[in-house]
Formats: sequence, structure tokens, C-alpha cells
Amino acid sequence: MPPALDLLNLPDADVVALAQQGRDAAFRELIRRYERPVFSLIYRMVRDRELAEDLAQDTFIKVLNHIDRYRPEFKLSSWLFKIANNVAIDHLRRRQLETVSIDGSPHAQTSDAIEATSFDVVGQQESALDELEARELGTAIERAISSLRPEYRSCIMLRHVEGRSYEEIAATLDLPLGTVKTYIHRARHELRTALEHVREGSK
Amino acid sequence: MNHRHLLPDEIDLLIDDEVGFGVAPLKAHIRDCDHCRAQVDDARRVLAALEEVPHFSPSHTFANKVMAQVPVFVPWHVTARDTVARWLPQSRSARVAVAALATSAASVLTVAILWIATQTDVLVLATSAAGDQIQNLVYNAGRDVLATVFGDQVFAIIQHTGTVGIAAALLGLVTTAGASIAGLRALAAVSSRRRA
Repeated sequence: MPPALDLLNLPDADVVALAQQGRDAAFRELIRRYERPVFSLIYRMVRDRELAEDLAQDTFIKVLNHIDRYRPEFKLSSWLFKIANNVAIDHLRRRQLETVSIDGSPHAQTSDAIEATSFDVVGQQESALDELEARELGTAIERAISSLRPEYRSCIMLRHVEGRSYEEIAATLDLPLGTVKTYIHRARHELRTALEHVREGSK
Repeated sequence: MNHRHLLPDEIDLLIDDEVGFGVAPLKAHIRDCDHCRAQVDDARRVLAALEEVPHFSPSHTFANKVMAQVPVFVPWHVTARDTVARWLPQSRSARVAVAALATSAASVLTVAILWIATQTDVLVLATSAAGDQIQNLVYNAGRDVLATVFGDQVFAIIQHTGTVGIAAALLGLVTTAGASIAGLRALAAVSSRRRA
């Protein structure tokens, strides 16, 4: 029996090193540290609790089964968020559940392309779930977040909920720094617009 | 700067608390412009609300469900280290005593080995006897294996060819077994990669 370890006070890199040595408690500590942020990110992406839990499980299983490949120069949380974002985006693409923006594709360069990729503020599933989701999540901000494009949503969540820098988000999501800044800028603008009526009502 | 309102990019610079030459005029502008100050305050309020959204918790069985699908392997060197650690006493004085005992035993063994190495005749005799014993053991074991694998009749033919025949048959057997194991491992690796 190895000596008891105070895992709670160890930095991530040390806990990962213990997991690489096959310590079951270290695996559980990593799950305990990141289950809520990872689950929250995915939940806000897919807006379905059961599905979010399945995808969060997939995320942890992928990461923990390849813990021997972890590189200490990369933050573990960034790796987890990267996988979490990928599984959520993959799922949304497969199921075509994406909520879409009135602004069209962020990659659209011409006015025709923007128009061709523009949709209503909410998708089909969104309109059906709209009120229920808003009530369930409780606040207008949650509703506003859920109306963002998935790409914007993950960027804005990592920036303002997880407190990541632009550079970290770019590395985590494998996006150019300029794209991350654009996504966050557009997401902020859409959030301000979406919340305008709430703020005006409260004035 | 004072003749126009702030652009959205400039508002972002302020709410990101960016520093630099370009930011000072923006700050100066919002001190004088009520409209732009209201825009910045508004943006800050939205982001403050965003930063306060809570984390959601998965079900309480989440960790168990994940761990059910994460096989935990303990590397051999960790197992060896744990085993040694388990046998070592906890107190410092007891560890010192164990270390002294181990050092003494290692010294005695080293001296004994060095003494034997100096006795050339004894060493040659012992090596020769051990060599004969090992040769007989390997020969008998190989003969038993071949007789079991190929049957008595085939073995009689192999035996007829003498030691070379037995050695060739054994080599063929070992090569076939090795190739089979390597093939099975490759199949398992491919299957594991597909699952991943």
C-alpha cells in the first residue's frame, strides 16, 4: 500500500504524474477538479443534461485513458477543454442542432456569403426549447449564451467563465488568435444585444 | 478622438483592461462622453453577469461511471518501488539499521565472490559440471517437448537425424510460437486502436 497522499493540495502536474503511476485516487482527484467546469461547458453547448453528462464522460475517458501522453508544458485543463469542445462541436455537427447567428458564418467574406449563411436568431429546436431552457437555466444570461453560435459560445465561456486568456483559448481550441478575438468580440456584441431588453426593463 | 464615439473594438480594449499608448485617449474620451461611458459600463455589466454564471454539477455517480471505463495500470517499476516501500520500516532508526545490515550482507557476498573467482581450478571444475548439467537438462526438456508436440513416430524420425535434427525442430517450433505471439499482439494493438 503506497503512503497516503494529500492530493487536494497538489498542483495538476503532480496529480497527473501520480495518475501515470497508476494511482486510482489521482484519477479521481482529476475528475473531482474538472467535472464541473467540463460538464458546464458541454451543458451550455448542447443544452441537454443527460447528453452533456455522456459527452463529459467521453471527454474524461479520452483524456484519462491517454494520460501517459500528457505533456506538462500544456495545461491539463486546456487539454480537457479542448476535448470537451471537440466532442460537443462534433455532436452538434452530427445532430445539426447548432443554434445560429443572425450574422451568418464568421468565415463569410462577402455580403452574399454572409446572407447565404445567415439564419434566424434561434434554430428550430431552439424555438421549441426556448422558454423551457430559459426557465430551467434560470437567468436571461443563460438564455443569451444559448443563442450564440457554438464557436462563439465556447470562446466566450472559456474567456469569461473559466477566465482564460485569448492566447490560451487559441491554443485550447486550435484557432488563430485573431479568430478567437473576433469570436469573443462578436459574442459580446450579441450578448449585449440579447440582454438589451432585460437591462432596459430593469432601468 | 473627441469628435466621434468609441468603436466596438475600442470598447473591447477598455473592458479587457488593456494597457498601452492607444488606450489612454480612449479612457480620456469616456471621461468626457456620457454616451460612450454608458456603453462601456453597460458592456462591463454584461460581462460581470457572465462571469457570475454558475458551474453545473454532473450526477454524483459521474466519477464512478468514468472510472468504470478507465483501466488503471500500475507500471512494474511503481509496483517494485511500492513493494520495497512496504517492507521498509517506517522509523528512521529502523531504516538505518536495515541499511547497515544490507550493507554488511552485500560486503560479505562480495568478498565471497571475489575469493571464489581467485580459485581458478575450483571455478573451472564447477563451471564444467554446471555446463554439463544445463546441457543435459536442455536436451531432455527439448526431447520431451518435441515428443509431445509431434508425436512419438515423427519424433523418432527427428531423433534419427541426431542432435542437429532435434535442434532444428526446436528452433522451428520456437520461431512458429514467436511469430504467432507477435501476430496476436499486433491484432490486439490494432483492435485497441480502433476502440480508442
